Amino acid sequence: MSLDSPISYQAYIGQQYIQHLISCERSKMGSRPSLLLRDEELAEIQKETGFSANQIERLYSRFTALDKSSTGALSREDFLRIPELAINPLGERIVNAFFRHSDEDRVNFRQFVRVLAHFRPVKKHKENRYNSREGKLQFAFKLYDLDDDDRISRDELMAVLQMMVGENI
Amino acid sequence: MAILAYLLLCLLVLPGSFFIVLVFVMAALGKSLGFRKTYVEFLLLLFNYGKERIERAAKRKEQRQAGEEEEDSDSDDASSEELNENKNSQVEEEILKEEGDSEAVEGEAQDQNQNKTGNFGRDDIFDFRDSFDFIQSGITAIVNDQVTQRFASEELRSWNLLTRTTRNYEFISWRLSLIWLVGFFIRYFFMLPCRVTICFLGTITLTLLTFFIGLLPQSAYRKKLNDYASKFSFRLLSRAFAAIIHYHDEQYRPTKSGICVANHTSPIDVVLLACDSTYAMIGQRHGGFLGILQRALARASSHIWFERSEMKDREAVARRLKEHVEDKTTCPILIFPEGTCINNSAVMQFKKGSFEVGGQIYPVAIKYDPRFGDPFWDSSKYSMLQYLYMMMTSWAIVCDVYYMPPMERRPGESSIDFAKRVKAEIAKKGGLIDLDWDGQLKRAPAKKEWKEQQQVQYAKKLVHSPRHLVQTADDSPNPST
Repeated sequence: MSLDSPISYQAYIGQQYIQHLISCERSKMGSRPSLLLRDEELAEIQKETGFSANQIERLYSRFTALDKSSTGALSREDFLRIPELAINPLGERIVNAFFRHSDEDRVNFRQFVRVLAHFRPVKKHKENRYNSREGKLQFAFKLYDLDDDDRISRDELMAVLQMMVGENI
Repeated sequence: MAILAYLLLCLLVLPGSFFIVLVFVMAALGKSLGFRKTYVEFLLLLFNYGKERIERAAKRKEQRQAGEEEEDSDSDDASSEELNENKNSQVEEEILKEEGDSEAVEGEAQDQNQNKTGNFGRDDIFDFRDSFDFIQSGITAIVNDQVTQRFASEELRSWNLLTRTTRNYEFISWRLSLIWLVGFFIRYFFMLPCRVTICFLGTITLTLLTFFIGLLPQSAYRKKLNDYASKFSFRLLSRAFAAIIHYHDEQYRPTKSGICVANHTSPIDVVLLACDSTYAMIGQRHGGFLGILQRALARASSHIWFERSEMKDREAVARRLKEHVEDKTTCPILIFPEGTCINNSAVMQFKKGSFEVGGQIYPVAIKYDPRFGDPFWDSSKYSMLQYLYMMMTSWAIVCDVYYMPPMERRPGESSIDFAKRVKAEIAKKGGLIDLDWDGQLKRAPAKKEWKEQQQVQYAKKLVHSPRHLVQTADDSPNPST
């Protein structure tokens, strides 16, 4: 929406005013101001991960829904609050995968989407480094390889097996 | 000058009081002039108009984007099917389906004999790819799980001109914003004061009437009077929220003593049901506004209000319930077995306590229309007063109440199975999803036993014979060849 004509400028001012009213109504409700995803960021993520704009927006609203303390980043508790994940025997390892490259034990949205990008299906000629077959296998491999030495030792294997069978063997 | 001010006041107050008298009369008669129906139909027209404009704007945006990208990716086809009804759930399904496919791509390449359920390799040997199942369901749960979405307001398919339902507000068009602005003023400066007044008057009416009825001696006449008074007050209160309720299958309306169970979405559920029939209620004693109502009601008929500490004593609760149900002169008692508010998209686990008592169970399904106002009370986010404020500034509360034929426990059926059966019926009638998850997951973490169940399942797959537990890394098929 270009601002060259006077009418569209009026429209722009009107829009700003309306957005101001909206944030007033929102803050009266006591709800937090929403962290909107900026267009440039969205385009960057799109290029990097290969998700479509729609999908990224859905993931973003999922991210903010999980972020109960509204800090813009997820902690391990935020993940494990999902019951289906909490009862998954490999649940904690999966959560660890998100925290591998982050410091302070928090995952921001970019890191969140990067990990999920591994799970996009492979389309011919449209692979990128996350969802290539190599990328997917890397993800699974790193789930086992705790000490990050690029090898799965017998102990590491047994650890994962233990998680999957519990007390039953 | 004073005369002018006086006239102005009269001008405002006169139609106002006429309106309020009208509301009282209509509530007393139990009839409706149809104002709210016409209002709702008008709103629907408005929403449809709004939806068209949003779709048109989104289509234009999609076409622009498609022009910019060299190749259009899977879900972004600029067709109107994307934009209407199932837009959100479709996109999520695609993300999830893609994840499922990714694992399938892996398996197919390595092992020709892989079956679609993801059983990689042979059954009694550990395979690295066994973990894929767990990883897949874990990631699926992260992207979208069945439980946590029930504890937040349901998403709407198209904007209903309330600010609080827009996730990322975008400027769509001048006209839409104008409509929103007008709606904003009407809701906050015209409807809100009216509704607050009616609510206030309704509460006073309820308190006064129940007080006087409480003074009468017990008799059938008093019960009838209480019936009438309670319906009258609750109809007033329901008008305070502009509630438009459709009762279906009224022949099954619970009138005799027994237990009435319903799905729970908000405290307003009680008001809606009580407009049509008189119920005894059970619950925790509250302070504040709810406490006033509780005490008022308790004067005129028998309800069961518990102290918080007593609720923990399940036997005491069951005993009082049983006494109440066995006394044939009492009203049916209204229970919400979910134990907490769920967002009206699903029915969660029913607690078995009320199903152990015996006697007839009258199931009722309540389904709200989310386009006119979101009835879900997110008690972690909003206090009761904030919630009422939000309800009164929504457009209206439109809901369908489905009465269902009474159900009884079959001989040999456990109360848990009986609860499940009733829940399934309610979910089917109300068009809700039937979930087995516990509503208490809103506040408490998941139980360890459920994780153990999954572990047992996997262990069973492995341990056919005790000797084959794990093949060494040299023997197992190497995934990267």
